[in-house]
Amino acid sequence: MTAAVLEVSGLTKRFGATVALRDGRLALRAGEVHALVGENGSGKSTLVKILSGVHAPDSGTIRIAERQVAAFRSPRESLAAGIATVFQEVLAVENRTVLENLWLGQDGAFRSKVSRARKRERAAEVLAELMVQPPSLDALVEDLDLSDRQACAIARALLRDPRILILDEATSALDYETRTRLFAVVRRLSAEGVATVLITHRMDEIDEIGDTVTVLRSGETVGVVEDRAWTTASLVQLMTGAEQLIPAATREAAEAADPGAVVLEVSGLRLAPGKAPIDLQLRAGELVGLAGLEGHGQDAFIKALWGLVDAEGEVVRREADGAARPIRTPDDAYAAGIAYVPRERRAESMFEQLTILDNFALPTIGRDARGGFVSRRRSERRFAPFIEQLRIKLGHPSHPITTLSGGNAQKVVISRWLAASPRILLLNDPTRGIDINAKRDLYRLLAELARAGVAVVMLSTEVDEHVELMDRVLVFREHEQAAELSGAQLTRERLVAGFFGEAA
Amino acid sequence: MTTAIRTAPARRFDLSVFVRRYPFAFALVISVVLLALNLIVQPNFGPVQQLASYAPIAFAALALMPAILSGRGGIDLTVSPVMTLSGIVFIGYLNPAGLGTFVAVPILLVIGLVIGTVNGLLIVLLRLPPVVVTLAMMFVYTGINLKLAPSPLTISGSWVRSLAESIWVIPGALVGLAVPVIAWLLLARSAWGRTLYAVGGNDATAFSAGINVAFVRISAFALGSMIAMLGGLSVVALTSSAAASTSSAYVMLSIAAVSLGGISLAGGRGGVAGALFGAAAIFLVQRMLTVFNVPTIWLTLVYGLILIVAVILGAVLTTRRRERS
Repeated sequence: MTAAVLEVSGLTKRFGATVALRDGRLALRAGEVHALVGENGSGKSTLVKILSGVHAPDSGTIRIAERQVAAFRSPRESLAAGIATVFQEVLAVENRTVLENLWLGQDGAFRSKVSRARKRERAAEVLAELMVQPPSLDALVEDLDLSDRQACAIARALLRDPRILILDEATSALDYETRTRLFAVVRRLSAEGVATVLITHRMDEIDEIGDTVTVLRSGETVGVVEDRAWTTASLVQLMTGAEQLIPAATREAAEAADPGAVVLEVSGLRLAPGKAPIDLQLRAGELVGLAGLEGHGQDAFIKALWGLVDAEGEVVRREADGAARPIRTPDDAYAAGIAYVPRERRAESMFEQLTILDNFALPTIGRDARGGFVSRRRSERRFAPFIEQLRIKLGHPSHPITTLSGGNAQKVVISRWLAASPRILLLNDPTRGIDINAKRDLYRLLAELARAGVAVVMLSTEVDEHVELMDRVLVFREHEQAAELSGAQLTRERLVAGFFGEAA
Repeated sequence: MTTAIRTAPARRFDLSVFVRRYPFAFALVISVVLLALNLIVQPNFGPVQQLASYAPIAFAALALMPAILSGRGGIDLTVSPVMTLSGIVFIGYLNPAGLGTFVAVPILLVIGLVIGTVNGLLIVLLRLPPVVVTLAMMFVYTGINLKLAPSPLTISGSWVRSLAESIWVIPGALVGLAVPVIAWLLLARSAWGRTLYAVGGNDATAFSAGINVAFVRISAFALGSMIAMLGGLSVVALTSSAAASTSSAYVMLSIAAVSLGGISLAGGRGGVAGALFGAAAIFLVQRMLTVFNVPTIWLTLVYGLILIVAVILGAVLTTRRRERS
């Protein structure tokens, strides 16, 4: 057995109140292709960002070639240690040429360390190995398509002659041909002793070139499978684990709600050109989950229900009296009793400079006005029941919203929309980054709303929420609906298998 | 295996591609038209004198350029007061001390280096917005200028005068401007210059590629302030004086000049030709209105209209480009 070229253990990283990495471990041997898998938010990207010097860990040890080293303080230090990373976000300097992008960061402060002729030669070599039709070295990167841009980012890493190559979902933006060629390059590098860390959401890619798999769950390394001794089922089992998230009482309450009449009808919705259309009939009192790996279309879908994205297809609100209203803009949605809780709490839904009360009252503040002047007491009176119902922990409604924890701030945002008495509630990943008790309060609220006949559509990255709370779940994959699961079919295994495009 | 390099398909003339390649085109057209008009209306348009009058605004634009190119809202409002400071230090201290060119100019450059480095450090290390930092520092240097020279200082019989006259057969202003222009052209072709454009274009990419983004940004501010110190001498050459009251003369005009010259305020796009032609357009507008005896009250209005037309044209052309790709 070859010695480890890189070994990390006990790695932890917190961002504010969120623990992104609890116990990250990874042992990498020379010449192997090591896949790193886990659900969204399991800590893969955080681990990679620590290895590439983007984030500094809070604690833990990093050993390179059996010697302990200090955590990297910048990508520069990581690169100097022989680690080259291709990130998930396609990183390119759009307004510079392909050649400059490929050699980015390799020059000294004022002098180039490599001659221009040599640069052109090596760049052409690397691109020719990676692409069927390499772009001109003098083309501007902004004129290339996404796959070619990502190929340039990969070529940039390859030009570093790394000892460790990290591909963080770098293949998702590549076209088929380039991906095949990249894997051929990875195999050649393996033969030369380069270790590759592969992060991918595609099981077929792991089967194709993986030698070892490390599985992360909730920020912890929970398993290492060596010598290709895995099956899709065994990895899914490791990724999902099993622990109950939602109290039984809440689940029973949610199940007790009877689906009523159709309140929203989606027909022929295409999330991207050329993708299969999606239909959905949403009934009153129903809890529908939207699941899938990051960026597979579920976000565009929930926004389309709110009238935000200009997708092909129709979203129609069916009123109780049988009237049909098309939803084409968020204004239509609001008027039709549809409320939307956005994903980015800080950027999209909180007014950070305002008080808790103002954050609650703003969209409906007209109701508190008397002769044009807003009465604070009326707002407070409207807010009080929500404080109780959602168990919002706050000092006083007049305190700034920033004094609240993430979970309580989210409750305020949700009560803001509940104040408009919606018939349909759309929630875009509402439990992200909030603590378990706040989550349970939310689940209870959703169950109560369902029983009161409100239709709830919730995008969530947590598998357990879908399995334990939802009546049915739409699984998205590559901007299409890959599966619709309900009842006995709605299990962790089937859901995660659906993420990865495998029938379990 | 085919390794054919993709060649650009033969295309008819495409205005948006042209403008992207030569972002200073609009400023160049305006400059040429206005110059022609000037020459027609005023045949005794003395090039030496005119170039000397043009030099300060050109220096100001050149000094502002590196900060803007470095991206992330990079801007340097201290250019104008630093130019004035340079004149005051030269007339008030260096010249009376009898220091020759080869001592005085390096001293001014070192002062510029310090000023720019302080700006850069505040912006990069404390992550403060460049516009606020340099606005505050603009007031600080204006205050220093007032303290050092409560009343205007004048100079006579210095070598500096030749920068506004002729050196051999070459207009002195061209010799003066050649220094920053040549320095910039050399730097822009060095690793540092390419790195600056990369940082201004996409700093996340530059950072992940191991570039020392902080050093690049700080050095851009330092270079700008050094150019501003040189620019101060062009004002001294033209007016034989240095007055604290001129501290803010070029603050707005330099921003107008670089924007007109197609240097993107978002960073990473544009170059020395943009600064020079942008400044030329601003200067020639000023000349034209003087020649036609138009009251100066119209001057800023015309600047504003030209600038807004340039910005709209640039925006329309680049947006069309983006939609197609």
